[in-house]
Amino acid sequence: MTAFRLFWSTTLLLLAGGPLLAVAGLALASLFDATAWHALWQDPHALPALALTLWTGLASTVLAWWLSAALLAQGFVRQSLGRLLRGLPVMLATPHAALAIGLVFLLAPSGWVLRALSPWLTGFEFPPPWPTTQDPWGLGLIVALTAKEIPFLLWTAATQLQRDDVRQRWRSEHALAQTLGYSPQRAFWRVVWPQLSARLWWPLLAVLAYGLTVVDMALVIGPASPPTLAVLAWQWLQDADLAVNAQGAAAGGVLALALLAAALLWRAAQGLSARSGHALNGVRGAAPPPGNTSKSERVPVSFHLLAGLYGAVLLALAVGSVAGVWPFPRVWPEAVTGQAWQRVWDSRDTVGTTLGLALASAALALAWSVAWLELAPRRWDTALRPVLYVPLVLPAVLWVVGLYHLALWWRLEGQWLGLLLAHTSMVLPYVLLTLSPAYLGFDARYAALSASLGHGPWRFLWRIKWPLLRRALAASAAVGFAVSVAQYLPTLYVGAGRFNSVTTEAVNLAAGAQRSLTSAYAGLQFVLPVLAFALAAWLGAPRRFKGSRS
Amino acid sequence: MTTFSLSRREILLIAGSATGAAVTPAWAQSPSPAWANLEKAARGQTVYFNAWAGSETTNAYLQWVAAEVQAAYGVKLEHVKITDTADVVKRVRAEKTAGRQAGEGTVDLVWINGENFAAMKRDRLLLAPWAEALPNFKYVDTVGKPTTLNDFSVPTDGQESPWGMAQFTLFADSKRLPQPPQSMAELLALARRQPGRISYPRLPDFTGTTFVKQALLEHVADVGVLAKPPVAADFAKVTAPLWQFLDALHPHLWRGGKQFPQNPAAVRQMMADGELLLALTFNPNEPANEIAARRLPASVVSWQFAKGTIGNTHFVAIPYNAKAAAGAQVVANFLLSAKAQARKADISHWGDPTVLDLAKLPPAERALFPSQPLPGQVAKPAPTLPEPHAAWVDPVEKEWAKRYL
Repeated sequence: MTAFRLFWSTTLLLLAGGPLLAVAGLALASLFDATAWHALWQDPHALPALALTLWTGLASTVLAWWLSAALLAQGFVRQSLGRLLRGLPVMLATPHAALAIGLVFLLAPSGWVLRALSPWLTGFEFPPPWPTTQDPWGLGLIVALTAKEIPFLLWTAATQLQRDDVRQRWRSEHALAQTLGYSPQRAFWRVVWPQLSARLWWPLLAVLAYGLTVVDMALVIGPASPPTLAVLAWQWLQDADLAVNAQGAAAGGVLALALLAAALLWRAAQGLSARSGHALNGVRGAAPPPGNTSKSERVPVSFHLLAGLYGAVLLALAVGSVAGVWPFPRVWPEAVTGQAWQRVWDSRDTVGTTLGLALASAALALAWSVAWLELAPRRWDTALRPVLYVPLVLPAVLWVVGLYHLALWWRLEGQWLGLLLAHTSMVLPYVLLTLSPAYLGFDARYAALSASLGHGPWRFLWRIKWPLLRRALAASAAVGFAVSVAQYLPTLYVGAGRFNSVTTEAVNLAAGAQRSLTSAYAGLQFVLPVLAFALAAWLGAPRRFKGSRS
Repeated sequence: MTTFSLSRREILLIAGSATGAAVTPAWAQSPSPAWANLEKAARGQTVYFNAWAGSETTNAYLQWVAAEVQAAYGVKLEHVKITDTADVVKRVRAEKTAGRQAGEGTVDLVWINGENFAAMKRDRLLLAPWAEALPNFKYVDTVGKPTTLNDFSVPTDGQESPWGMAQFTLFADSKRLPQPPQSMAELLALARRQPGRISYPRLPDFTGTTFVKQALLEHVADVGVLAKPPVAADFAKVTAPLWQFLDALHPHLWRGGKQFPQNPAAVRQMMADGELLLALTFNPNEPANEIAARRLPASVVSWQFAKGTIGNTHFVAIPYNAKAAAGAQVVANFLLSAKAQARKADISHWGDPTVLDLAKLPPAERALFPSQPLPGQVAKPAPTLPEPHAAWVDPVEKEWAKRYL
């Protein structure tokens, strides 16, 4: 390794690893408080809340994992993955809170679904007293989490399948398995899925961590009494009493332990199913029905259902944002008003803050990731990954405690710079996660070829490597942008409440139940990342050469 | 110095008339030198006003205030939008623990009352007494509205300045509820007749706590006990009738009393959707306000229990470490002006009752306040009952949470 690379790799390592470790350390240090643990143990809500957390987090993760796997299997076998992925960015870009708010508008007793069915079918003149939102069993939260995490898992799987080397190998292995008499479906499950799922371990862990520790979504659609443990921890962290704050941090610690246990359990279950030997029992599975060959290229129905759900949520937000008086069971509002959008326009600072933070943090994270992947030795990268992914897997309620302490320490609390660093710490892992498969899978022979033509390294990067990788670069920047827009806890906590983003506005208003303004902000929260993804798709479109193969 | 203050007064008069107020600011008639100095120090300062931001009208009103104080006093007002004032108390306390000195804080002005004020006062997180020295304080109705000096039975001691009045009020669609309940006992009877159609916000939401305190007030044997902090030994005995009442009420509430809406706005939305029969508010003008904004139908009426409901005052306070303490006082003084109070009382802007004694105001300023009631406003105002001592809130909330969450 040259001195140049060593120097810059070390600098990059310190730039990212230092603050991340400091935050993690400060967060964990807040856990050493015996009285807080005792208080937590004594609290009558802690255990039921933990049970709800485990139930909603694990159920949503298992559902999202298996539904994604099934969609991938059908997509891979029917070769419709490309088309399936085209609809994905919009779903991926939908912030968690916006989806939850929209779902509430659909499912509430006074929501659209029942309005559409009343009174002609149900006979209801008034909304029925049904617990369809914030249900005590957490079913709404599970639906919302599952619907939100499937696109993320599909997307990360797609970034793996985008690597030319991997895709070609898997295709040929899949074909080979079929020549041995396995049905296309079974060949996928036996040959491709074990390899693919092993590479989805970190994304899966992120999904699991999110499901177990989510606050904003659970505030909107999750159970209320008791809420999940993450919501309880967040409420305790905000209490005016310091002892209760410590109890909140301890609850964050419990969440971290729960996540660790769940992850180990998952690993063990995976190992068990891999060793059970059914993979080699020789059963070939049913052949595809004649006439309906594997090349039908149809997108699975379940994917259309998911897309339909997102569409309905969006429509509910759009209509809700202009609704005035809207008595049950009318399907459309009696009065339409632009008041809410007028208010949004009046507080355009909020949109400016959101955009500025998202652009800056995505740019910082992208620059760091590219430099790191370009310069750092592969061994360093492997060693650093767990540290970089800490923000993904540490409960958000605990993470913000560490962030806040670091910000206080650096006197950055309530300042834009502090907020930028907080956002970047959350954005960086996602950007690295989505960028690295394509970046590391880049064919090394291009570099040799370029060098043999006498081009320097910069020319190679600017003219060959980055242009060829621009789809991955643009996409990971868009992911970073979307992650920043969706941040709720860091914005509120590190920003000392001085900075409003469309997400903090939407979640705060959702608690205030002002339907029109909540919808407007949730809609905006959705539109911004979608625009970023559209821009990324446009920037990342492959160049077309006239006269070449289509 | 004299010429400076004179010329500036002229500028302010011009600014005042330009913005539509045909009145001379009260303090301009007899500016004390100390106040003039304070205004001078305030010019150019940025005041971070931490205020609950759950309502559009409040936010819009603060935007108007920001424009006014910028034009008249050169003070920049930033509305820091918060959902729970306890966060602010916590932040200021964290800053004090971290060793932040005077002038090094992140909060300049905070919208506050009740237990949060009691906590900040007790922990010495507030600026030394300043409120009663404000030029506009002399118009405050301290006799007719004694809660302007007594915040939940805790003396304000000039550490917070009154901003607005509140009284527990109920509202409902008269088409669905032609005969509104006139007491907690009647409310229980209504809940029994129509189960699942009544609820109140989950404590420690302010309105939810007020609902429970109103029930306490109506069920306690001797109201005088509530004016003093609770004695630990007596707490169970005094509150026993309250829990008895709530135990009887809860099975007939929305979702069987096992779940409660997060805040009064959620209750209001559910009332508007028809899911609930009635909604609660602490701002008597809120229903009229919502009708005017076309978010509630004009058939909505509001009322207070016949024998009276709990009322109080909300305030603004300045933390000990405010960076812009002078600017914060200038803003607080402006908030007490007839112009600001009249606009706040106007339901087309906010509709929050004034803390001023209109009789004390010069006639021109008094004319800024309208007098006719509007659709949705309380037709027959009931007496204002004093809040129990602030020290009751915490144990009642804790006991409530223990029993019903």
